[in-house]
Amino acid sequence: MSSGTVLAPPALEARDLHKSYGTHRVLRGADLTVAPGRLVAVVGENGAGKSTLLKALAGVLAADRGEVVHHGTLGYCPQEPVLNNSLTVEQHLRYFAAARRLPGLERGHGLVRQLGYEKYLGTAAGELSGGTRQKLNLTLALLHDPDVLLLDEPYQGFDWETYLRFWELTEELRSHGRAVVVITHLVFEQERFDLLADLVDGRLVTRATGATEAEEARHADV
Amino acid sequence: MRTSDTVRRPPYRQFPTALRFSVRDQTRNRLAGLLLVLFVPVWYLLMDAMAGGEVLEFRLYATGEVLQVDGGRLTLITAGLNCVTMIAGFVVFDAVRKALLFDRRLVFAGYGQAVLVGAKTLAVVVVAAAIALYTALAVLFLWRPSVGGWFAVLAGFTVIALTYGALGLLLGVLVKRDLEGFFLIIMGGLMDTFLQNPLGNPLANEPVLRWFPSFGPMQFAAGGAFGDTVLWGHLGLGLLWAGAFSAVGLVVFWIRTRSRNHAR
Repeated sequence: MSSGTVLAPPALEARDLHKSYGTHRVLRGADLTVAPGRLVAVVGENGAGKSTLLKALAGVLAADRGEVVHHGTLGYCPQEPVLNNSLTVEQHLRYFAAARRLPGLERGHGLVRQLGYEKYLGTAAGELSGGTRQKLNLTLALLHDPDVLLLDEPYQGFDWETYLRFWELTEELRSHGRAVVVITHLVFEQERFDLLADLVDGRLVTRATGATEAEEARHADV
Repeated sequence: MRTSDTVRRPPYRQFPTALRFSVRDQTRNRLAGLLLVLFVPVWYLLMDAMAGGEVLEFRLYATGEVLQVDGGRLTLITAGLNCVTMIAGFVVFDAVRKALLFDRRLVFAGYGQAVLVGAKTLAVVVVAAAIALYTALAVLFLWRPSVGGWFAVLAGFTVIALTYGALGLLLGVLVKRDLEGFFLIIMGGLMDTFLQNPLGNPLANEPVLRWFPSFGPMQFAAGGAFGDTVLWGHLGLGLLWAGAFSAVGLVVFWIRTRSRNHAR
Protein backbone atom coordinates (compact mmCIF):
# COMPACT_ATOMS: atom_id res chain seq x y z
CA MET A 1 0.00 0.00 0.00
CA SER A 2 2.73 2.43 0.93
CA SER A 3 4.65 1.76 -2.30
CA GLY A 4 1.50 3.03 -4.12
CA THR A 5 1.85 6.42 -2.45
CA VAL A 6 5.40 6.71 -3.72
CA LEU A 7 4.27 6.31 -7.33
CA ALA A 8 1.29 8.67 -7.03
CA PRO A 9 1.54 12.20 -8.52
CA PRO A 10 2.21 14.98 -6.03
CA ALA A 11 -0.81 16.08 -4.04
CA LEU A 12 0.39 19.68 -4.01
CA GLU A 13 2.82 21.53 -6.23
CA ALA A 14 3.79 25.16 -5.90
CA ARG A 15 6.18 26.71 -8.37
CA ASP A 16 7.96 30.05 -8.21
CA LEU A 17 5.52 31.80 -5.87
CA HIS A 18 5.97 35.54 -5.53
CA LYS A 19 4.03 37.87 -3.28
CA SER A 20 4.74 41.45 -2.22
CA TYR A 21 2.94 43.81 0.11
CA GLY A 22 3.85 47.20 -1.31
CA THR A 23 7.63 47.25 -1.51
CA HIS A 24 7.97 44.42 1.00
CA ARG A 25 8.71 41.25 -0.97
CA VAL A 26 7.51 38.36 1.19
CA LEU A 27 7.69 35.42 -1.22
CA ARG A 28 10.47 35.45 -3.82
CA GLY A 29 10.12 32.28 -5.80
CA ALA A 30 8.99 29.67 -3.27
CA ASP A 31 8.71 26.09 -4.56
CA LEU A 32 7.13 23.16 -2.76
CA THR A 33 6.08 19.66 -3.78
CA VAL A 34 4.20 17.40 -1.40
CA ALA A 35 3.43 13.76 -2.15
CA PRO A 36 0.28 12.05 -0.84
CA GLY A 37 0.77 10.66 2.66
CA ARG A 38 3.51 13.15 3.46
CA LEU A 39 3.64 15.45 6.45
CA VAL A 40 5.54 18.68 5.81
CA ALA A 41 6.46 21.38 8.32
CA VAL A 42 6.89 24.95 7.15
CA VAL A 43 9.27 26.65 9.55
CA GLY A 44 10.81 30.09 9.63
CA GLU A 45 11.26 33.19 11.74
CA ASN A 46 8.38 35.42 12.77
CA GLY A 47 7.43 37.58 9.82
CA ALA A 48 9.19 35.29 7.33
CA GLY A 49 5.91 34.94 5.41
CA LYS A 50 4.78 31.48 6.49
CA SER A 51 1.10 32.45 6.72
CA THR A 52 1.30 34.32 3.42
CA LEU A 53 2.76 31.19 1.82
CA LEU A 54 -0.01 28.99 3.20
CA LYS A 55 -2.71 31.43 2.08
CA ALA A 56 -1.21 31.45 -1.40
CA LEU A 57 -1.08 27.63 -1.39
CA ALA A 58 -4.72 27.52 -0.24
CA GLY A 59 -5.83 30.03 -2.83
CA VAL A 60 -7.33 32.48 -0.33
CA LEU A 61 -4.63 34.97 -1.35
CA ALA A 62 -3.66 35.59 -4.96
CA ALA A 63 0.08 35.31 -5.54
CA ASP A 64 1.65 37.98 -7.75
CA ARG A 65 3.38 35.29 -9.79
CA GLY A 66 3.76 31.54 -9.78
CA GLU A 67 1.50 28.54 -9.86
CA VAL A 68 -0.16 26.28 -7.32
CA VAL A 69 -1.70 22.98 -8.35
CA HIS A 70 -3.35 20.51 -6.03
CA HIS A 71 -4.74 17.15 -6.98
CA GLY A 72 -7.93 16.41 -5.11
CA THR A 73 -9.81 18.34 -2.45
CA LEU A 74 -8.23 20.95 -0.23
CA GLY A 75 -8.71 21.86 3.42
CA TYR A 76 -7.29 25.07 4.90
CA CYS A 77 -7.19 25.95 8.58
CA PRO A 78 -6.39 29.66 9.02
CA GLN A 79 -4.25 30.81 11.95
CA GLU A 80 -7.00 33.00 13.41
CA PRO A 81 -10.25 31.04 13.72
CA VAL A 82 -12.75 32.23 11.12
CA LEU A 83 -16.10 31.48 12.77
CA ASN A 84 -19.53 33.05 13.11
CA ASN A 85 -19.94 34.04 16.75
CA SER A 86 -23.72 33.85 16.67
CA LEU A 87 -23.83 30.24 15.48
CA THR A 88 -23.31 27.18 17.67
CA VAL A 89 -20.71 24.46 17.04
CA GLU A 90 -23.45 22.19 15.65
CA GLN A 91 -24.68 24.95 13.32
CA HIS A 92 -21.14 25.47 12.04
CA LEU A 93 -20.97 21.76 11.22
CA ARG A 94 -24.29 22.00 9.38
CA TYR A 95 -23.27 25.10 7.45
CA PHE A 96 -20.02 23.55 6.27
CA ALA A 97 -21.65 20.20 5.56
CA ALA A 98 -23.98 22.12 3.23
CA ALA A 99 -20.98 23.93 1.72
CA ARG A 100 -19.20 20.63 1.06
CA ARG A 101 -22.44 18.91 0.07
CA LEU A 102 -21.89 16.15 2.60
CA PRO A 103 -24.69 13.67 3.25
CA GLY A 104 -24.60 14.01 7.02
CA LEU A 105 -22.78 15.24 10.09
CA GLU A 106 -21.20 11.92 11.12
CA ARG A 107 -17.66 12.95 10.31
CA GLY A 108 -18.15 16.34 11.96
CA HIS A 109 -19.40 14.75 15.15
CA GLY A 110 -16.57 12.20 14.98
CA LEU A 111 -13.98 15.00 14.79
CA VAL A 112 -15.64 16.88 17.64
CA ARG A 113 -15.43 13.74 19.79
CA GLN A 114 -11.88 13.06 18.73
CA LEU A 115 -10.81 16.57 19.71
CA GLY A 116 -12.82 16.25 22.94
CA TYR A 117 -15.26 19.16 22.81
CA GLU A 118 -18.61 17.41 22.29
CA LYS A 119 -20.11 19.13 25.33
CA TYR A 120 -19.92 22.44 23.46
CA LEU A 121 -21.99 21.32 20.45
CA GLY A 122 -24.85 23.60 21.50
CA THR A 123 -22.67 26.57 22.51
CA ALA A 124 -22.36 29.68 20.33
CA ALA A 125 -18.86 30.16 18.92
CA GLY A 126 -18.71 33.61 20.54
CA GLU A 127 -18.87 32.00 23.98
CA LEU A 128 -16.15 29.39 23.40
CA SER A 129 -12.65 29.60 24.89
CA GLY A 130 -9.71 30.31 22.57
CA GLY A 131 -8.64 26.66 22.53
CA THR A 132 -12.13 25.37 21.71
CA ARG A 133 -12.53 27.96 18.96
CA GLN A 134 -9.31 26.63 17.47
CA LYS A 135 -10.66 23.06 17.66
CA LEU A 136 -13.76 24.13 15.75
CA ASN A 137 -11.58 26.01 13.26
CA LEU A 138 -9.63 22.80 12.64
CA THR A 139 -12.76 20.65 12.49
CA LEU A 140 -14.18 22.83 9.70
CA ALA A 141 -10.99 22.36 7.68
CA LEU A 142 -11.12 18.56 8.11
CA LEU A 143 -14.87 18.08 7.68
CA HIS A 144 -14.76 16.81 4.08
CA ASP A 145 -11.69 14.60 4.63
CA PRO A 146 -9.60 16.57 2.11
CA ASP A 147 -6.70 15.09 0.14
CA VAL A 148 -4.49 18.08 0.90
CA LEU A 149 -4.51 19.82 4.27
CA LEU A 150 -2.93 23.19 4.96
CA LEU A 151 -2.79 24.02 8.68
CA ASP A 152 -1.52 27.34 9.99
CA GLU A 153 -0.32 26.73 13.57
CA PRO A 154 -3.39 24.58 14.19
CA TYR A 155 -2.82 23.78 17.85
CA GLN A 156 -2.52 27.29 19.30
CA GLY A 157 -4.28 27.34 22.67
CA PHE A 158 -4.60 23.54 22.83
CA ASP A 159 -3.91 21.89 26.17
CA TRP A 160 -1.39 19.03 26.23
CA GLU A 161 -4.02 16.29 25.91
CA THR A 162 -5.64 17.94 22.89
CA TYR A 163 -2.22 18.57 21.40
CA LEU A 164 -1.52 14.81 21.57
CA ARG A 165 -4.95 14.07 20.11
CA PHE A 166 -4.17 16.44 17.28
CA TRP A 167 -1.07 14.43 16.45
CA GLU A 168 -3.00 11.15 16.60
CA LEU A 169 -5.45 12.64 14.14
CA THR A 170 -2.67 13.88 11.86
CA GLU A 171 -0.98 10.47 11.90
CA GLU A 172 -4.30 8.91 10.97
CA LEU A 173 -4.70 11.32 8.03
CA ARG A 174 -1.18 10.62 6.87
CA SER A 175 -1.72 6.88 7.02
CA HIS A 176 -4.78 7.36 4.80
CA GLY A 177 -2.64 9.04 2.17
CA ARG A 178 -3.55 12.64 2.91
CA ALA A 179 -0.86 15.26 2.30
CA VAL A 180 -0.51 17.59 5.28
CA VAL A 181 1.38 20.89 5.43
CA VAL A 182 1.69 22.44 8.89
CA ILE A 183 3.18 25.78 9.89
CA THR A 184 5.04 25.32 13.12
CA HIS A 185 7.69 27.03 15.18
CA LEU A 186 8.13 24.31 17.79
CA VAL A 187 11.59 22.84 17.36
CA PHE A 188 10.98 19.82 19.56
CA GLU A 189 8.27 18.35 17.33
CA GLN A 190 10.21 18.49 14.11
CA GLU A 191 10.94 14.77 14.26
CA ARG A 192 7.29 14.10 13.59
CA PHE A 193 7.52 15.43 10.02
CA ASP A 194 8.73 13.84 6.80
CA LEU A 195 10.10 17.09 5.49
CA LEU A 196 11.03 20.47 6.92
CA ALA A 197 10.58 23.41 4.59
CA ASP A 198 12.45 26.41 5.94
CA LEU A 199 11.20 29.75 4.62
CA VAL A 200 14.24 32.00 4.29
CA ASP A 201 14.32 35.21 2.22
CA GLY A 202 11.05 34.27 0.56
CA ARG A 203 12.24 30.86 -0.66
CA LEU A 204 11.79 27.39 0.74
CA VAL A 205 14.81 25.31 1.64
CA THR A 206 13.74 21.74 2.28
CA ARG A 207 15.47 19.08 4.31
CA ALA A 208 14.45 15.55 5.21
CA THR A 209 14.02 14.54 8.83
CA GLY A 210 14.64 11.32 10.72
CA ALA A 211 11.05 10.30 10.02
CA THR A 212 11.63 10.37 6.25
CA GLU A 213 14.79 8.34 6.49
CA ALA A 214 13.01 5.71 8.56
CA GLU A 215 10.12 5.73 6.07
CA GLU A 216 12.45 5.38 3.11
CA ALA A 217 14.22 2.49 4.80
CA ARG A 218 10.81 0.87 5.24
CA HIS A 219 9.97 1.36 1.54
CA ALA A 220 13.33 -0.13 0.60
CA ASP A 221 12.41 -3.16 2.66
CA VAL A 222 9.11 -3.52 0.76
CA MET B 1 -13.92 6.93 -3.58
CA ARG B 2 -15.11 7.94 -0.13
CA THR B 3 -18.62 7.65 1.15
CA SER B 4 -18.85 11.41 1.56
CA ASP B 5 -18.22 11.77 -2.17
CA THR B 6 -20.51 9.04 -3.42
CA VAL B 7 -23.68 10.04 -1.53
CA ARG B 8 -24.04 13.72 -2.32
CA ARG B 9 -26.83 15.96 -1.27
CA PRO B 10 -28.35 17.98 -4.08
CA PRO B 11 -26.88 21.50 -4.00
CA TYR B 12 -30.21 23.23 -3.48
CA ARG B 13 -30.06 22.25 0.17
CA GLN B 14 -27.50 25.01 0.59
CA PHE B 15 -30.20 27.63 0.22
CA PRO B 16 -32.44 26.77 3.20
CA THR B 17 -29.36 26.39 5.42
CA ALA B 18 -27.95 29.76 4.37
CA LEU B 19 -31.35 31.47 4.68
CA ARG B 20 -31.97 30.09 8.16
CA PHE B 21 -28.56 31.09 9.44
CA SER B 22 -28.62 34.51 7.73
CA VAL B 23 -31.96 35.34 9.37
CA ARG B 24 -30.65 34.09 12.69
CA ASP B 25 -27.54 36.22 12.26
CA GLN B 26 -29.60 39.35 11.70
CA THR B 27 -32.07 38.72 14.50
CA ARG B 28 -29.64 37.96 17.31
CA ASN B 29 -28.59 41.59 17.61
CA ARG B 30 -29.71 42.43 21.15
CA LEU B 31 -29.08 46.15 20.86
CA ALA B 32 -31.33 46.31 17.81
CA GLY B 33 -34.01 44.40 19.72
CA LEU B 34 -33.75 46.87 22.56
CA LEU B 35 -33.98 49.78 20.11
CA LEU B 36 -37.17 48.29 18.68
CA VAL B 37 -38.78 47.77 22.08
CA LEU B 38 -37.69 51.05 23.71
CA PHE B 39 -36.53 53.52 21.09
CA VAL B 40 -39.50 53.23 18.73
CA PRO B 41 -42.22 54.08 21.34
CA VAL B 42 -40.05 56.71 23.07
CA TRP B 43 -39.26 58.39 19.75
CA TYR B 44 -42.95 58.38 18.76
CA LEU B 45 -43.99 59.86 22.13
CA LEU B 46 -41.28 62.48 22.02
CA MET B 47 -42.01 63.56 18.45
CA ASP B 48 -45.75 63.54 19.14
CA ALA B 49 -45.28 65.77 22.20
CA MET B 50 -43.01 68.17 20.31
CA ALA B 51 -45.04 68.43 17.13
CA GLY B 52 -48.45 69.38 18.49
CA GLY B 53 -51.36 69.46 16.09
CA GLU B 54 -50.72 72.50 13.94
CA VAL B 55 -51.76 72.28 10.31
CA LEU B 56 -48.93 71.93 7.81
CA GLU B 57 -48.80 72.03 4.06
CA PHE B 58 -47.44 68.90 2.44
CA ARG B 59 -46.95 68.64 -1.29
CA LEU B 60 -47.82 65.47 -3.16
CA TYR B 61 -45.58 65.57 -6.20
CA ALA B 62 -47.45 62.97 -8.23
CA THR B 63 -50.69 64.97 -8.22
CA GLY B 64 -49.30 68.44 -7.59
CA GLU B 65 -51.77 68.64 -4.73
CA VAL B 66 -50.84 70.47 -1.53
CA LEU B 67 -52.43 68.70 1.43
CA GLN B 68 -53.36 70.41 4.66
CA VAL B 69 -52.26 67.85 7.20
CA ASP B 70 -52.06 67.48 10.96
CA GLY B 71 -48.41 68.23 11.77
CA GLY B 72 -48.37 65.75 14.66
CA ARG B 73 -49.49 62.89 12.47
CA LEU B 74 -47.14 63.77 9.64
CA THR B 75 -44.36 63.86 12.19
CA LEU B 76 -45.32 60.40 13.40
CA ILE B 77 -44.73 59.12 9.86
CA THR B 78 -41.30 60.75 9.63
CA ALA B 79 -40.47 59.52 13.14
CA GLY B 80 -41.43 55.98 12.14
CA LEU B 81 -39.45 56.24 8.90
CA ASN B 82 -36.49 57.49 10.91
CA CYS B 83 -36.65 54.59 13.41
CA VAL B 84 -36.90 52.08 10.60
CA THR B 85 -33.90 53.51 8.70
CA MET B 86 -31.72 53.31 11.78
CA ILE B 87 -32.72 49.89 13.04
CA ALA B 88 -32.90 48.09 9.67
CA GLY B 89 -29.61 49.69 8.56
CA PHE B 90 -27.87 48.88 11.82
CA VAL B 91 -29.08 45.25 12.00
CA VAL B 92 -28.05 44.36 8.46
CA PHE B 93 -24.78 46.33 8.57
CA ASP B 94 -23.68 44.66 11.80
CA ALA B 95 -24.58 41.13 10.67
CA VAL B 96 -23.11 41.43 7.17
CA ARG B 97 -19.89 43.03 8.38
CA LYS B 98 -19.27 40.49 11.12
CA ALA B 99 -19.98 37.52 8.86
CA LEU B 100 -17.95 38.67 5.84
CA LEU B 101 -14.79 36.64 6.51
CA PHE B 102 -16.90 33.67 7.54
CA ASP B 103 -18.92 33.92 4.32
CA ARG B 104 -15.67 33.99 2.42
CA ARG B 105 -14.64 30.79 4.15
CA LEU B 106 -17.99 29.24 3.24
CA VAL B 107 -17.52 30.12 -0.43
CA PHE B 108 -14.00 28.76 -0.26
CA ALA B 109 -15.46 25.54 1.18
CA GLY B 110 -17.80 25.20 -1.77
CA TYR B 111 -20.85 27.32 -0.99
CA GLY B 112 -22.41 28.74 -4.12
CA GLN B 113 -21.89 32.51 -4.11
CA ALA B 114 -25.22 33.00 -5.84
CA VAL B 115 -26.88 30.85 -3.18
CA LEU B 116 -25.36 32.90 -0.36
CA VAL B 117 -26.25 36.17 -2.09
CA GLY B 118 -29.83 35.00 -2.62
CA ALA B 119 -30.20 33.82 0.97
CA LYS B 120 -28.73 37.04 2.35
CA THR B 121 -31.03 39.16 0.21
CA LEU B 122 -34.11 37.22 1.28
CA ALA B 123 -33.00 37.43 4.91
CA VAL B 124 -32.75 41.23 4.58
CA VAL B 125 -36.27 41.32 3.12
CA VAL B 126 -37.68 39.18 5.96
CA VAL B 127 -35.97 41.19 8.69
CA ALA B 128 -36.77 44.58 7.11
CA ALA B 129 -40.43 43.62 6.70
CA ALA B 130 -40.63 42.51 10.35
CA ILE B 131 -39.09 45.78 11.58
CA ALA B 132 -41.47 47.81 9.39
CA LEU B 133 -44.50 45.85 10.60
CA TYR B 134 -43.59 46.37 14.25
CA THR B 135 -42.99 50.10 13.74
CA ALA B 136 -46.27 50.51 11.84
CA LEU B 137 -48.18 48.66 14.56
CA ALA B 138 -46.60 50.79 17.27
CA VAL B 139 -47.90 54.00 15.65
CA LEU B 140 -51.48 52.80 16.30
CA PHE B 141 -51.11 53.67 19.99
CA LEU B 142 -50.95 57.35 19.07
CA TRP B 143 -52.86 57.58 15.84
CA ARG B 144 -55.58 55.52 14.15
CA PRO B 145 -55.54 56.25 10.42
CA SER B 146 -58.02 54.55 8.07
CA VAL B 147 -57.21 50.92 7.19
CA GLY B 148 -56.02 51.98 3.74
CA GLY B 149 -54.01 54.81 5.29
CA TRP B 150 -52.33 52.41 7.72
CA PHE B 151 -51.41 50.03 4.92
CA ALA B 152 -49.89 52.95 3.03
CA VAL B 153 -47.81 53.79 6.11
CA LEU B 154 -46.82 50.12 6.44
CA ALA B 155 -45.82 49.97 2.77
CA GLY B 156 -43.78 53.17 3.11
CA PHE B 157 -42.04 51.81 6.21
CA THR B 158 -41.35 48.48 4.48
CA VAL B 159 -39.78 50.12 1.46
CA ILE B 160 -37.58 52.43 3.55
CA ALA B 161 -36.60 49.42 5.71
CA LEU B 162 -35.57 47.57 2.55
CA THR B 163 -33.66 50.62 1.32
CA TYR B 164 -31.69 51.08 4.55
CA GLY B 165 -31.29 47.32 4.97
CA ALA B 166 -29.72 47.32 1.51
CA LEU B 167 -27.58 50.34 2.48
CA GLY B 168 -26.51 48.41 5.59
CA LEU B 169 -25.51 45.53 3.37
CA LEU B 170 -23.56 47.84 1.07
CA LEU B 171 -21.73 49.52 3.97
CA GLY B 172 -21.20 46.13 5.65
CA VAL B 173 -19.12 44.89 2.72
CA LEU B 174 -17.48 48.24 2.05
CA VAL B 175 -16.37 50.17 5.13
CA LYS B 176 -13.39 49.24 7.25
CA ARG B 177 -14.61 50.14 10.75
CA ASP B 178 -17.85 49.80 12.69
CA LEU B 179 -17.97 53.48 13.56
CA GLU B 180 -17.93 54.66 9.94
CA GLY B 181 -20.87 52.45 9.08
CA PHE B 182 -22.93 53.42 12.12
CA PHE B 183 -22.26 57.11 11.52
CA LEU B 184 -23.27 56.95 7.86
CA ILE B 185 -26.46 55.01 8.61
CA ILE B 186 -27.56 57.19 11.53
CA MET B 187 -26.69 60.53 9.95
CA GLY B 188 -27.97 59.47 6.54
CA GLY B 189 -31.28 58.25 7.94
CA LEU B 190 -31.73 61.26 10.19
CA MET B 191 -31.06 63.84 7.48
CA ASP B 192 -33.02 61.96 4.87
CA THR B 193 -36.22 61.60 6.90
CA PHE B 194 -35.97 64.93 8.78
CA LEU B 195 -35.77 66.91 5.55
CA GLN B 196 -39.02 65.41 4.26
CA ASN B 197 -41.03 66.95 7.10
CA PRO B 198 -42.21 70.57 6.66
CA LEU B 199 -42.45 70.92 10.46
CA GLY B 200 -38.71 70.69 11.00
CA ASN B 201 -37.57 71.83 7.60
CA PRO B 202 -38.86 75.03 6.00
CA LEU B 203 -37.40 73.78 2.74
CA ALA B 204 -39.59 70.66 2.69
CA ASN B 205 -41.79 70.44 -0.37
CA GLU B 206 -38.82 71.61 -2.46
CA PRO B 207 -38.05 69.55 -5.59
CA VAL B 208 -34.52 68.76 -4.36
CA LEU B 209 -36.05 66.32 -1.86
CA ARG B 210 -36.95 64.02 -4.71
CA TRP B 211 -33.33 62.90 -4.78
CA PHE B 212 -33.44 61.45 -1.27
CA PRO B 213 -34.18 57.75 -0.56
CA SER B 214 -37.08 58.40 1.81
CA PHE B 215 -38.87 60.72 -0.66
CA GLY B 216 -40.83 57.93 -2.39
CA PRO B 217 -41.90 56.08 0.78
CA MET B 218 -42.83 59.38 2.50
CA GLN B 219 -44.95 60.49 -0.47
CA PHE B 220 -46.65 57.09 -0.60
CA ALA B 221 -47.33 56.97 3.16
CA ALA B 222 -48.59 60.56 3.38
CA GLY B 223 -50.59 60.29 0.15
CA GLY B 224 -52.34 57.18 1.42
CA ALA B 225 -52.87 58.36 4.97
CA PHE B 226 -53.98 61.95 4.25
CA GLY B 227 -54.93 62.18 0.58
CA ASP B 228 -56.54 58.80 -0.11
CA THR B 229 -54.27 58.42 -3.11
CA VAL B 230 -52.15 55.42 -3.97
CA LEU B 231 -48.89 56.61 -5.48
CA TRP B 232 -47.45 53.34 -6.75
CA GLY B 233 -44.83 55.15 -8.79
CA HIS B 234 -43.41 56.72 -5.65
CA LEU B 235 -43.35 53.40 -3.86
CA GLY B 236 -41.51 52.06 -6.90
CA LEU B 237 -39.03 54.94 -6.64
CA GLY B 238 -38.25 53.81 -3.08
CA LEU B 239 -37.78 50.25 -4.29
CA LEU B 240 -35.42 51.52 -6.94
CA TRP B 241 -33.17 52.93 -4.20
CA ALA B 242 -33.34 49.59 -2.37
CA GLY B 243 -32.52 47.73 -5.57
CA ALA B 244 -29.62 50.04 -6.40
CA PHE B 245 -28.04 49.81 -2.92
CA SER B 246 -28.38 46.05 -2.80
CA ALA B 247 -27.12 45.54 -6.35
CA VAL B 248 -23.92 47.48 -5.62
CA GLY B 249 -23.60 45.80 -2.19
CA LEU B 250 -24.01 42.32 -3.60
CA VAL B 251 -21.49 42.94 -6.38
CA VAL B 252 -18.95 44.07 -3.75
CA PHE B 253 -19.89 41.01 -1.64
CA TRP B 254 -19.36 38.80 -4.68
CA ILE B 255 -15.92 40.29 -5.32
CA ARG B 256 -14.86 40.12 -1.68
CA THR B 257 -15.93 36.51 -1.12
CA ARG B 258 -14.73 34.98 -4.38
CA SER B 259 -12.32 32.09 -4.17
CA ARG B 260 -9.06 31.88 -6.08
CA ASN B 261 -8.83 28.16 -5.75
CA HIS B 262 -7.63 26.09 -8.70
CA ALA B 263 -7.68 22.30 -8.52
CA ARG B 264 -6.62 19.89 -11.17
